[in-house]
Amino acid sequence: MSEEKGFAAWLDSRMPTLKREWNRHMAEYYAPKNFNFWYYFGVLAMVVLVIQLVTGVWLLMSYQGSAEQAFASVEYIMRDVELGWIIRYAHSTGASAFFIVVYMHMFRGLMYGSYKPPRELVWIFGMTIYVALMAEAFLGYVLPWGQMSYWGAQVIISLFGAIPVVGEDLVQWIRGDYLISGITLNRFMSLHVVAIPIILLALVVMHIIALHDVGSNNPDGVSIKKYKDAKGNPIDGIPFFPYFVIHDLVPIVVFLFVFCSILFFMPEMGGFFLEYANFEIANNLKTPEHIAPVWYFTPFYSMLRAVPDKLGGFIVMAAAIAILFVLPWLDRSPVRSIRYKGMFSRVAILMLAAVFIILGYLGVKAPTAARTVLTQICTVLYFSYFIGIYFWTRIESTKLEPDRISMDGGIGAWKTIGAILAVATMVILPIKAVGSEGKSCGTINCDPFEAQLNNDASLQRGAQLAVNYCMGCHSFKYSRWERVADDLNIPHQMMLDNMVFSGQKIGELMDIAMPSDRAKEWFGATPPDLTLVARSRSSEWVYTYLRHFYADPSRPLGVNNKVYKDVGMPHALLDLQGLPECVRGSSLATNGGVKRDLLTGEDVLDNPCGGYEINKAGSLSPEEYDAAIFDLVNFLTYIAEPMAEQRKHIGKMVLLFLLLLMVPVILLNREYWKGIH
Amino acid sequence: MSGDVVNESRRKFLLGATSVIGGAGVVGAAVPFVASWQPSAKAKAAGAPIKVNISKLEVGARMVVEWRGKPVYIVRRTPESLAAINAIDSDILRDVDSEEASQPGYVKGSARTLAGKEEYLILVGLCTHLGCAPLYRPDVGAADLGGDSWLGGFFCPCHGSKFDLSGRVFAGVPAPTNLEVPPHSYESDSVLIIGIDTEVA
Repeated sequence: MSEEKGFAAWLDSRMPTLKREWNRHMAEYYAPKNFNFWYYFGVLAMVVLVIQLVTGVWLLMSYQGSAEQAFASVEYIMRDVELGWIIRYAHSTGASAFFIVVYMHMFRGLMYGSYKPPRELVWIFGMTIYVALMAEAFLGYVLPWGQMSYWGAQVIISLFGAIPVVGEDLVQWIRGDYLISGITLNRFMSLHVVAIPIILLALVVMHIIALHDVGSNNPDGVSIKKYKDAKGNPIDGIPFFPYFVIHDLVPIVVFLFVFCSILFFMPEMGGFFLEYANFEIANNLKTPEHIAPVWYFTPFYSMLRAVPDKLGGFIVMAAAIAILFVLPWLDRSPVRSIRYKGMFSRVAILMLAAVFIILGYLGVKAPTAARTVLTQICTVLYFSYFIGIYFWTRIESTKLEPDRISMDGGIGAWKTIGAILAVATMVILPIKAVGSEGKSCGTINCDPFEAQLNNDASLQRGAQLAVNYCMGCHSFKYSRWERVADDLNIPHQMMLDNMVFSGQKIGELMDIAMPSDRAKEWFGATPPDLTLVARSRSSEWVYTYLRHFYADPSRPLGVNNKVYKDVGMPHALLDLQGLPECVRGSSLATNGGVKRDLLTGEDVLDNPCGGYEINKAGSLSPEEYDAAIFDLVNFLTYIAEPMAEQRKHIGKMVLLFLLLLMVPVILLNREYWKGIH
Repeated sequence: MSGDVVNESRRKFLLGATSVIGGAGVVGAAVPFVASWQPSAKAKAAGAPIKVNISKLEVGARMVVEWRGKPVYIVRRTPESLAAINAIDSDILRDVDSEEASQPGYVKGSARTLAGKEEYLILVGLCTHLGCAPLYRPDVGAADLGGDSWLGGFFCPCHGSKFDLSGRVFAGVPAPTNLEVPPHSYESDSVLIIGIDTEVA
């Protein structure tokens, strides 16, 4: 101990700033004792920032920012770099986690009036962080160079074209080309990796300094500086270190638990964190069927779509963000916290939350007439909150603020649940009213498919089918033969003898000899690489697609497909299945069920191609064919994410560990806080 | 309230427990970041074993092949060279028996080859001093390399290290150890595989 003291003294006499700043921001920074759940999100934002910085630095070690290499280098990280997939998923999950945490942090500010004097600067720095974060997220989303990267960038950059006079020139200047190209990608990488992070870090420092200069707000919105003890410290405050540092460990571990659950068990988060279409390489000639930004932009994207005018939409979207900056001067209430504001404020803030979520939901959905109306209503409601707050905060009667903070203030658990239910109802009812979904597999419903990634025999048969029937035209060029052999327990020599094309080594990528430009000449379109098809399209889609080829003499190749109408691909498995020919059958009603005759209850056979019959049989029976397709799609599912099983296995251990860590953290927190009242 | 009393030993224990488990967590979290610096599947594929057809190599000649980005020398030694290796004055070599040398266990003797394959010398062509590629100098009695005492070998132009025709380093030169013998095996008499060890029964 004495040695440490000696060193501390040595350091302090040479660099007193260290101790002074440590005291100012940690050991002698008094924060209100009554922080609640909502006050966790500031520190969680710092945790995510660190995750993003560290994983980002590591991703850059293997990422290549050129149009030719970007997409492949991301798959290289996912497949070839040892445990690289953890780093990549951590970064992609972190991006969404950042926005969840920041939106909660901002809502906390709205509820407890943290933007009101004397914390206007804290709020403005925070809002600037939010804008920088959106820029960072947008630029980062372009880097994987998938279809959503490309077309998302196309849409967002084109927005600037709405600016009168200079718009089009500005767009071209941002792109540095006549289209979004490798040049654009390069500058976006530079901004994403160097410029914006520096700005972000500087802003975070300013945000915290500005906060610590005026002191933290709290759920009661009253100052703790009024009553001080003999030493001049607020009696309702407690030093940030060690009390809040230890207090924050609990939510940090909980957060990491949720974060790792997503990272290891659902890294795509149903297409919200990683959009499916982004598993397809950027193609400047083909927009994906459904294009939506990542979820965290969708509330503003909805507002853009709500206005039937290019410039108008742009202005509304920009204003929706800009109006937040001036909030400190719009709210004229004599009290800060929602606890003491009037009933109107309370209802309005719940409505704002609901409206924001609805706008976010509608932003990921394809627009329909009814949805557009709902979007317009919500946009108006969003703005009326910020305009209205200027008036009602002067009119409504507020409750008397307490003299000191309360430890048991707030609405309590039941009313909190009530508020959440109220928001949920306000969200779900309007969405239900405008809901309607198309068929998920082209003109028909998808056939169910459940992959069996531990079934080596099935995967091996699938690999054989893929090599024999698919790889004549399609490559699997992001995967290596050796990886497939090892994962599927195929001996190397057997793999080399039976599958690997002559001249290729087992460590090589599963590329094919057909040059893609020639293929385009022959087929009209280059047969796409299939490594990721089960991720970009879904396994169900591929399974259904392969089972719904039928004879159609009007097509150049004599076949058509129900899932992918007028597809340019021949029925490659024709000799296995035989040629299905259409027979009259039932069709699907608009509600998704089978159309039935109202009187007899029998199916209405009004569909000229409601079923198939095979007149010239293939080498497999229909059951054998289905089994073969299952094996093939099982293999395609495996190769789209070869580490899926390993991912879940590691995930279980990580979650168990976090549960273990939770025990001492909770006990420690309880020990330190048991005497704090 | 008695529960309010600060329990220092309990605090200390819980702080210790949290630090130890949390520290283990940090180490665990570091694993992917450390592991990702290992050679990737791409690097491993590029560094895969290579097959070399040595049937066309003439007696006394040397060929250079690339394995893991390094030059590998294959020398087909003459009977005179082999005799010279055995007869060389052991005082001029630093490690006659290759005791400190980096070479597989199945490589034996002054010829530094597999038993029965003494004719073919296989070496990583990088000087053990600072990694230059030594020159192949089979010319016996070369005046610039010591005249009569030079029985053929390798000479590193960077810092003047000398090696005999088994890649053994001379005494009194900067290089510390004999040239490295890479893992290798013979698929047949004429096909050599570099990068795969010979299985020793």
